[in-house]
Amino acid sequence: MDLLIDSFLSAILLIVSLDREMLSVVGVSLTVSTSSTLIAGMIGIPVGIGIAFKSFAGKRLVITVLNTLLALPTVVIGLMVYAFISRRGVLGMLDLLYTQKAMVIGQVILIVPVVATLTIAAVSRIDDRYRKTAMTLGANARQTALVIVREARFGIMAAVIAAFGRVIAEVGISMMLGGNARGFTRTMTTAMALEYDKGQFTLAVALGIILMSLSFGMNLLFHFFQGRARS
Amino acid sequence: MLYTISGLKQMYGDWTVLDIPRLSIDEGDIYALLGPNGAGKTTLLNILGFLSRPSIGTIRFRSRDVHFSEPALQAFRREVVMVDQTPILFTSTVYRNVEFGLKVRRIPAAERQRMIADALDLVGMNRFAHAMGHHLSGGETQRVALARALVVEPRVLLCDEPTASVDAEHQATVMAILKRINREKRISIIFTTHDRLQAVSLGKQMIYLNQGRLASNGLENVFPATLTPVSRGQLECTVQGAIRLTLPATASHRDEKRGRILIDPARLSLKERAHPKPAANRFSGRVVQLSEEKGHIRMVVDVGIGLHLLLKPATYRKNPPLVGDRVDVSIPPDAVRFI
Repeated sequence: MDLLIDSFLSAILLIVSLDREMLSVVGVSLTVSTSSTLIAGMIGIPVGIGIAFKSFAGKRLVITVLNTLLALPTVVIGLMVYAFISRRGVLGMLDLLYTQKAMVIGQVILIVPVVATLTIAAVSRIDDRYRKTAMTLGANARQTALVIVREARFGIMAAVIAAFGRVIAEVGISMMLGGNARGFTRTMTTAMALEYDKGQFTLAVALGIILMSLSFGMNLLFHFFQGRARS
Repeated sequence: MLYTISGLKQMYGDWTVLDIPRLSIDEGDIYALLGPNGAGKTTLLNILGFLSRPSIGTIRFRSRDVHFSEPALQAFRREVVMVDQTPILFTSTVYRNVEFGLKVRRIPAAERQRMIADALDLVGMNRFAHAMGHHLSGGETQRVALARALVVEPRVLLCDEPTASVDAEHQATVMAILKRINREKRISIIFTTHDRLQAVSLGKQMIYLNQGRLASNGLENVFPATLTPVSRGQLECTVQGAIRLTLPATASHRDEKRGRILIDPARLSLKERAHPKPAANRFSGRVVQLSEEKGHIRMVVDVGIGLHLLLKPATYRKNPPLVGDRVDVSIPPDAVRFI
């Protein structure tokens, strides 16, 4: 019990003192997670909108595959990407392994299905009268799609936030593709795992508090946007 | 001619929801599209608004053939605007809602502002310009939807049951707006309703639809009925379980048959009140509604079912009953048609 209380108090002090190593780890985490969320948003949102709008053969199958990909373990993605970017892989010459770029690639694969499926759900929930109204008022197909996306904007924002929440807390991809190199690819989750291995809990607890606070903030935002989407 | 429709059919699988061999609609008039629920009114309105493609058939709009391909339809849609039965406003202000149609037409901002002010003024919603659309009541939403449709100055305004979602006070307002825009702006209006009185008071022309087909009259006096052979040459027709008619049998009526009958309102007549017991096919009831309709007197008599009578004014004036009076109505067998 004493260990927990001591670690917690030391962690608070570490956070308040804005420890450089801690800030570096948080910075890497935020940089990698924000980059992968932005890229996944640029891919997943149009894919989700396209699937929601278009009627095509195999649409249900595509949605089922995307839903299945939601449960893809991070270590499986790590392994797959590793096979491509390792020295002996087809993309080995790009020298991506153990870089932030490799982590971003893995995380994008992880969360594109999250963004796409939640976008499909958000767009599909929009009342069909919006489409009909836009069309009868003279909008072309692109303008009509924009109206629907605008009405679904809170749902789409919620999709992006859910995706960010997923990547900021993942360990497998960061560890396997980033290598946990101090100051370069060490994220909050990989640093926590390392500190635990070393038996030093202060930094791990401090990062845990920051991660939990971030997750809480993300969840608050997610529920805010979901609430707006439903109203 | 505004619309010329030939051989139009709308089918969902094997189910034909609309079948109109020929229909012409004049420019500048107000048309009431009358019919019971499921008659195909909204389906026809969607096709007239170029929002859905018919399964078969051709449409000419202002002497131009309509090709139901997306880029071609957009040009037609810019001349025809439809207002839904329960319109939905974009999640934005009233001003932005009304502005939408102008923006997609690339009308300059200064002109947009003037046109929006005029449109909102027309429907009496100017003071709500900066209110959020989803905070408005049903009647206010309907008026904003009208302003949003009218601001783009369409040739045709299609209204699906324009007063269905508004209270009595706002119904009168909406009707007055429609009359005014037709009179002042010469906008052709086609609206659906199953309210005969509304159709008569607003519409200059009537189109009757029943089960997806054009019908020759307003389809009032259509009731579920059971035909039962009672003797050789005679049938008993039980109408809504409330009244029984005696009708001559035909070869096709050998067994009990359920379906719907149509009683022609123009062939019904008022009779002197019979004492003590009315004769066959005569029913006693109370006058519940009286109105004038295009040179005739429409009377609704509650005889257990609400029977509509369409009387010539001279016939009515001989012995004019008032609302609430008891009268006897005679239904001649040839006024009844099994449909």
